[in-house]
Amino acid sequence: MSRHAEIELKDIVKTYHMGAETLTTLKKVSLRVYRGEFMAIVGPSGSGKSTLMNIIGCLDTPSEGQYIIDGQDASRMSDNQLARVRNEKIGFIFQSFHLLSQLSAFENVELPLVYRGMPAKQRREIASGMLAQMGLADKQNHKPRQLSGGQQQRVAIARALASQPSILLADEPTGALDTKTGKEVMGIFQQLHRQGHTIILITHDPGVAEAAESVIRITDGIITEERRGNHAIQPGSPDGLEEHYRQ
Amino acid sequence: MQFSQGVRMAWKSIIANKLRTLLTMLGIVIGVASVITLVAMGNGTRQQVKEQMAGLGTNLLSVNISGRGAVSSLTVEEAEQLGKLDGVKDVSPVISGNVQAKYKTKNVNVTVEGITPSYEGVRNVHIQRGRYITGIDVAYRQKVALIGTGTAGELFGTADPVGAAISLNGNHYKIVGLLEQQGTSLGGSNDDKIMVPISAGSRLLQTKGVRSVYLQAEDDANMDSIELALEGELTRKFRGNTSGYNIFNQADLVETISSVSATLSNTLAGIASISLLVGGIGIMNIMLVSVTERTREIGIRKSIGARRRDILLQFLLEALVISGLSGIVGVLVSYGAAYFLTRSGTLAVMTWDTIALSFIFSFAIGITFGIFPANKASRLRPVDALRYD
Repeated sequence: MSRHAEIELKDIVKTYHMGAETLTTLKKVSLRVYRGEFMAIVGPSGSGKSTLMNIIGCLDTPSEGQYIIDGQDASRMSDNQLARVRNEKIGFIFQSFHLLSQLSAFENVELPLVYRGMPAKQRREIASGMLAQMGLADKQNHKPRQLSGGQQQRVAIARALASQPSILLADEPTGALDTKTGKEVMGIFQQLHRQGHTIILITHDPGVAEAAESVIRITDGIITEERRGNHAIQPGSPDGLEEHYRQ
Repeated sequence: MQFSQGVRMAWKSIIANKLRTLLTMLGIVIGVASVITLVAMGNGTRQQVKEQMAGLGTNLLSVNISGRGAVSSLTVEEAEQLGKLDGVKDVSPVISGNVQAKYKTKNVNVTVEGITPSYEGVRNVHIQRGRYITGIDVAYRQKVALIGTGTAGELFGTADPVGAAISLNGNHYKIVGLLEQQGTSLGGSNDDKIMVPISAGSRLLQTKGVRSVYLQAEDDANMDSIELALEGELTRKFRGNTSGYNIFNQADLVETISSVSATLSNTLAGIASISLLVGGIGIMNIMLVSVTERTREIGIRKSIGARRRDILLQFLLEALVISGLSGIVGVLVSYGAAYFLTRSGTLAVMTWDTIALSFIFSFAIGITFGIFPANKASRLRPVDALRYD
């Protein structure tokens, strides 16, 4: 399998100005994520991993350096272009799900497609399909409040997948879930990985990170460890996560 | 994002906050309803005034003579001559003054008008019983009189005055007719008077000069040209002493009163529109609170690809839906108010232009006061908005 870089970060620096003080959270971070790779970014809180995620997710722009996503330079994009990248190339999965509470599961899933301007009929097909794939076909008209944590996270994953993004960006996706549902959700990520999705997972839990193919450790704004797993995951083989939970 | 999607989205979040939306709407509803109702009441008043004045005759010119002496007064014959001016249908000269009227033991001071038979047609003053003053009465200086209902009541009580004899400054007059009730006008009661033939009146009041001349135009369109001709004629007769007479155009009066009532209702509507403004500020207030409250929602929407204009449109549409709904409810409320006002005796006339105007105005307020919060929402940075809780 020839490896094609889905995203590439070159010497990314992010500084914040708080009054007279200047805080640098990312100090020349360079990173490549290949197509189909399942990468975990780990680090303690305050290490800069959230900042890194925001930049990868085009929610924030770097102060210095270059960020290339799918061949386009995102560090020099306008607000509208960034919104387009978020809409088409990135699927977000958040720790606290971030579903819109007044919309039904179905409406949440179709929302990215609404912003893309897709006709209603096509949206309905895709959104229903995604919910069915997540095993929520009968929960389409439920409000997030009426769903369990695991179900909500599955709706969020369906929403992220609906726009058929280049990468899935998950920020502590199991953080708000109990161990059992957390395991289920990680199972979904494993499955998505096997289907060929590029996944970046941010976590502080080394156990969760073990499910990933490669692990990047970040401390004080610097990448301190980069472990690339070369093993190809065989469908049906016991994976790292299950071992982790078995222990 | 399509417009219809945006409206649906706005509707959804409005429904989610029913009580708040209702309270926000209240300001605009009251504003719109009071503007429309007040203008409707103004229109109603103007229409009523116009109808009342039309009863008095808009094709009427009256001349009041205040001068004395041979030069600056008008004899009955000279006054009759004015009726020959172009476009004049009829003329009615009037001599007037006060006399002491006596019946049996009752004594009143009353206005006497010496008139000609044309008075009935020109002034639109009719009798309810008996007969009018005729040409023969004038020609033979008959001592006959018509009596107003007010004076009749004072002198005769409930008894029938027609046929009775009264004394005016010691002269015996026979009452031949009872006038219809006129009501009061700007000049006071029109029912407290006695009318006699102008020739008899001239002798009774010991004056040759007429006090007023009423000219009825054939058509109220050429009032101005008649007025001009009349002015010329009188100036010539009075030898330039223009202070000796005073021409009064009934149409002018109608116009003046309508413009006064229009000014009044516009002022009231202006005051009411302040409440519209206050309602608009209410919308802005609520939308700003809503933006702060929904910062995280904005963050989520942006993270899944909403552009700035999508967020702007969403919040602007919310403000517009609120103000538009309020406009509709306000119009309905004012319809109800107009209905009840009209039933209770105050005529209120709704016009389409007022309704359209206040509707447009409430939309404009939605845009004006919605744009600032919407813009604030759209400018939020996705990172900051997502982190907010």
